Amino acid sequence: MTPKRAGWAGAALAVLAFFVAVPPLMLRSPVFPVLLGLIAIGCGAWAYARGEKRLGGAAIAGAAFGIAGGVASTMSGEANLERVVVWGALFAATLRYATPLLFGALGGLFSERSGVINIALEGMMLVGAFFGAWGADVTGSWLLGIVIAIVAGALFAAIHAIFSVSLRADQIVSGAALNLLAIGITGYLYVDIYGTAGTPDDLPQVPDISLPIESIPFFGDVFGQLNLLVWLGLIMVPLTWLLVFRTPLGLRLRSAGENPLAAETAGLSVVRVRYLAVMTSGALAALGGAFLSIGFVNSFTQNMTAGRGFIALAALIFGRWRPWGALAATLLFGFGSALAQRLPVFSESGAVLFQALPYVLTLIAVTGVVGRSIPPAALGRPLAKS
Amino acid sequence: MTEVPALELRRITKRFGTLVANDAVDFELRRGEIHALLGENGAGKSTLMNVLYGLHQPDEGEILLDGKPVEINSPREAIALGIGMVHQHFMLVPVMTVAENLVLGAEPRSGPLLDYKSAAERVRELSRRYGLAVDPDARVEDLGVGSQQRVEILRALFRGAKVLVLDEPTAVLTAQEAQDLFKVLRGLTEQGTSVVFISHKLNEVLDIADRVTVLRRGEKIDTVPTEGATERSLARLMVGRDVLLRVEKPEHRPGEPLLRVEDLSARDDRGLPAVRGVTFEVRAGEIVGLAGVDANGQSELIETIVGLRKPDAGTVTIDGRDVTHLGPRETLAAGISHIAEDRHRRGLVLEFDLAENIGLRFYRNMAKMGWLSPRKLAAKARGLLREFDVRGGDADTRAGSLSGGNQQKVVIARELNADPKVIIAAQPTRGLDVGAIEFVHRRLVEERDAGRGVLLVSLELEEIRSLSDRVLVMYEGEIVAELPPSSSEEDFGMAMTGGKVEVS
Amino acid sequence: MSATPDDELPPDATVAAKLSAYLRGGGIITPLITVVVAFLFGGLVVLATGHNPISTYGAIFDGTGLNWLFPWTSSTEREIAALNLQQTLLRTAPLILAGLAVAFAFRCGLFNIGGQGQYIVGSILALWIGVSFENMPAFLHILLAIIGGALAGAVWAGIAGALKAVAGTNEVISTIMLNWIAIWIGVWLFNRGGPLQNTNPQQQDVPVSDDIVEGAKLPVFWGDPILQGLHIGIFIALAAVLVFWVILHRTVLGYEVRAVGYNPDAAAAAGISVARNYIVVMAICGAFAGLAGVIDVLGWQFRIATNDIRINDVGFTAIAVALLGRNTAIGVVFSALLFGALITGTSVRNLDPTIFEPALATNLTLVIQGLVVLLVSTDLLVVYLWRLRRRRLSSRKAVAA
Repeated sequence: MTPKRAGWAGAALAVLAFFVAVPPLMLRSPVFPVLLGLIAIGCGAWAYARGEKRLGGAAIAGAAFGIAGGVASTMSGEANLERVVVWGALFAATLRYATPLLFGALGGLFSERSGVINIALEGMMLVGAFFGAWGADVTGSWLLGIVIAIVAGALFAAIHAIFSVSLRADQIVSGAALNLLAIGITGYLYVDIYGTAGTPDDLPQVPDISLPIESIPFFGDVFGQLNLLVWLGLIMVPLTWLLVFRTPLGLRLRSAGENPLAAETAGLSVVRVRYLAVMTSGALAALGGAFLSIGFVNSFTQNMTAGRGFIALAALIFGRWRPWGALAATLLFGFGSALAQRLPVFSESGAVLFQALPYVLTLIAVTGVVGRSIPPAALGRPLAKS
Repeated sequence: MTEVPALELRRITKRFGTLVANDAVDFELRRGEIHALLGENGAGKSTLMNVLYGLHQPDEGEILLDGKPVEINSPREAIALGIGMVHQHFMLVPVMTVAENLVLGAEPRSGPLLDYKSAAERVRELSRRYGLAVDPDARVEDLGVGSQQRVEILRALFRGAKVLVLDEPTAVLTAQEAQDLFKVLRGLTEQGTSVVFISHKLNEVLDIADRVTVLRRGEKIDTVPTEGATERSLARLMVGRDVLLRVEKPEHRPGEPLLRVEDLSARDDRGLPAVRGVTFEVRAGEIVGLAGVDANGQSELIETIVGLRKPDAGTVTIDGRDVTHLGPRETLAAGISHIAEDRHRRGLVLEFDLAENIGLRFYRNMAKMGWLSPRKLAAKARGLLREFDVRGGDADTRAGSLSGGNQQKVVIARELNADPKVIIAAQPTRGLDVGAIEFVHRRLVEERDAGRGVLLVSLELEEIRSLSDRVLVMYEGEIVAELPPSSSEEDFGMAMTGGKVEVS
Repeated sequence: MSATPDDELPPDATVAAKLSAYLRGGGIITPLITVVVAFLFGGLVVLATGHNPISTYGAIFDGTGLNWLFPWTSSTEREIAALNLQQTLLRTAPLILAGLAVAFAFRCGLFNIGGQGQYIVGSILALWIGVSFENMPAFLHILLAIIGGALAGAVWAGIAGALKAVAGTNEVISTIMLNWIAIWIGVWLFNRGGPLQNTNPQQQDVPVSDDIVEGAKLPVFWGDPILQGLHIGIFIALAAVLVFWVILHRTVLGYEVRAVGYNPDAAAAAGISVARNYIVVMAICGAFAGLAGVIDVLGWQFRIATNDIRINDVGFTAIAVALLGRNTAIGVVFSALLFGALITGTSVRNLDPTIFEPALATNLTLVIQGLVVLLVSTDLLVVYLWRLRRRRLSSRKAVAA
């Protein structure tokens, strides 16, 4: 029993602690979640003490949630539980909530791997949300709406590139500025164009993809009716991995972020690499925003991204600047949102409080990550001038 | 021989603001020769070569390759013209493998993907051809410094360098590794490569180079063949006068041990052992020199002693008091002063004025109930600034606007005024001009004579040998030898590479 | 190694060091020019969307009440201007406090984006105290609310500080998360069925709190309380500015804060506890921001509705305020005044919709804020002026030599 295995066992038991109390098992005694949770904590602590701090800590934290969730479930009405914990629907919702986060995180990956901190993912997402909606409205086509969103996001990100790369600005301050600008510009245009009426109800929607797998239990529910952009997001993960870690372009990207002088002396133009990377991050984040406005909610409202860009950034850090890690993190946060959306069944006013769940999860995740998560070495340092 | 020189720099001038780093410098490199560029720190050697490599644009002058004038606006263009450079701080990506580093920018492809196998094959082929042994699949950060340098050289050759510039290549090598390097260089010149060898080490220059060009304060002084030159003649060119290679110091009479380190072990930032069971002591009235090649644990040792790093085992005692597990604040208060090796990073707050910088050691004592008066700080500072003859500003001048030498004086003034029992001086003369160096050396000897214990940690063997009463050699985290300062450079070199030395 | 590039700032200079350098290099001129440029760009946006920038800015200015300060204003105009100026100062006071919350953090090398959450938490606690304790004497009641609100903000920010000190958590992300958590807690509290929703039987459907007791309201000293005159909160804000300056420049804590802000490595080597400073600094910042929430609730809001919590953005405006003001005491005051005026001038009450739609104007303000922060992030102008000065200096030296 290695510490690593103990850690994973702890994490699995933590999940089990919650799982036994909800449908389909729905064991009603709180003894089960508590017992399983305690064993999970034990495994986690053991792993932690033997060096597997991250895994052990995650197991312990997960066990705490598992016990809490499991015990709470045993105290709730069975009917309510059956309404909330519909695993198929929950996972489908998870995927939907995760998609904008995923696009944002992957976008952030490109930028940060090239050495440019990007906390303006929020703003880029918002820009994409607005221009996606507006573009779809004006052209009558969701596809063109997406294209316009991507272009808008890339151009908006170019501002970040200009200031951070060419003008050597403080990248966090410039990112914060862009977020303000995004709210202001999209809000301004929104009010100017749509006034108090809001975006039209018949905004062209990105279509769902129906797979003929309804009969398959669970998988049919999860994957049977997902939006095109959700699928696109999932496909982007292996694509990103391939591009960044297995192609010459990816090698150059990473070298710019690890040791830009090495890249320069290898004959690369770090400036160009960073510009491309930052604009790509804008395009991807904007795609996530477009999903929000014309793939999910079907309208645009001011500041509709509501902090998702920052959750995406947290997912990126939590996932150690790797595509698959980012996917796992966004799924976790997405699950939190999906659960939060269904929990109002239990308590009407509590519904609002549950909205804070994704942010709490993110906070815990980012706290537990530090020290182990090593960013690209040259992240945030502007290039020295000659 | 009226052959066209491989490289010629004519009247190169480069300014940084008010600093003239290169002043109408001429430099000529013949094909197949090893030409050394010699000068003190700050003489302009690196700048000149960075101009050649396209990292800087010259304000005046021109560059000729094989007799044809060229313009080099970036490293990319320099590489395309056949100029390769091996820098002091390696231009490698630590987390990537040797092969990935080598092919960066000219990657072999199979379809859209990177063809890693053929990259590795290229590395092995080059390695064989030039006699530079490297493992293509090793991650650069796992390699020793000597190996990393070999990768750097291979990188330059991979891109077809006909002119190879090496910037202080032996600064990070042991004596044996340096000899290996020289062998490689001679092999390269036989194959037609021309080499520029930047150094400030006289003995090496005499060993490896065919000719030497000496720079001083941005100007070219002379170009001489190494045949017939001596260390003394070169030193005179470098500095402009006869250099005192020995500091005059009276006989020392050591007293009680003031600093005792026993079996100390600590890890570096990556979690690898950096200090391994180090034991030594510094007595009152002596200067103990700690010699060693860079990155053998000296920095981590100092950090552990002053409380900036947690030890895994062992003890540190200052005048009988156990400070092993105390933080920097208590450790400093126990009677130790630390002249940090990087004055911009650890020594000074550049944005603070001199009074506030000096206050870094004393502010707690000068405060009343949490209240701190700037006037008090300034008053204390003024006295010290006068005593140490700090030029370039006074108590309310921003530290960042002082010259390096004066900044170091401020640090030293502050640390010595704390009336320490033990002084740790780490690279105390790095980046200083000769006058400042003499001042620092004199001061350290004075402190020794006043009964304090001094631990001098330096990469400059000359400095260690001329100042220390006894010398400890550190290699891979351990103290491997104690030698009298009069020992030969060879003996030191052997110890610094882990070899056994007979002490007579 | 004396080869120095021609910028004085090393690439990894802290924000505090950069802004201090900008201040040295550019003085007051550069912030002024930054503002002018930002407004110019804002004007371009206005122009590009088919409106007249000059009349727009004119209309906005009329609403600020700043013309009350000019001696040539007629007495009838004076009356309206007075009302407007009171409004402007009402907005300025919390901005000063929130701006201090951001500036103080920057001085220690921390980026406090959590001002909004700290503000909310402070206002919630102040409201709760203001609603309870019906028979407390006014002075005590207000004092209690002030202390409570400041404490609440300090704790809220302290969480982020502690996380950074203990776990190294990036404060940008943690404070932003805390913002949203605070918002949702606030909405929950005052929502239908929430624990702090009002007890008025006729307002059971409205997601708003009870009103605070008369005795807890901050006294108004200029203007009519019924028309929302200016309350003493502005003095609290100015007192806070003094406290800010004194702490930074006359205390041990301020000395350590500045050292850590400029160079954490040197500070640590000198024995300063960087981690402890992070916690203390964030707590103080939270207190400032919480105080901003307190004076708004006690001064003119008197109740909190879930909508207020959602749309309030004092904490975000404060970022622009602090950066424009170069993180200094005086700078924050004038910056806050500028943005306070801008917010008042673009409000629904004061802006004539026929000239420019207020909702548009609010967003325009955000654009201007964003531009200000963007321009501050690099301050080209400063670097340019610097080089000019250095060239002049060097030529003078050459002549003297």
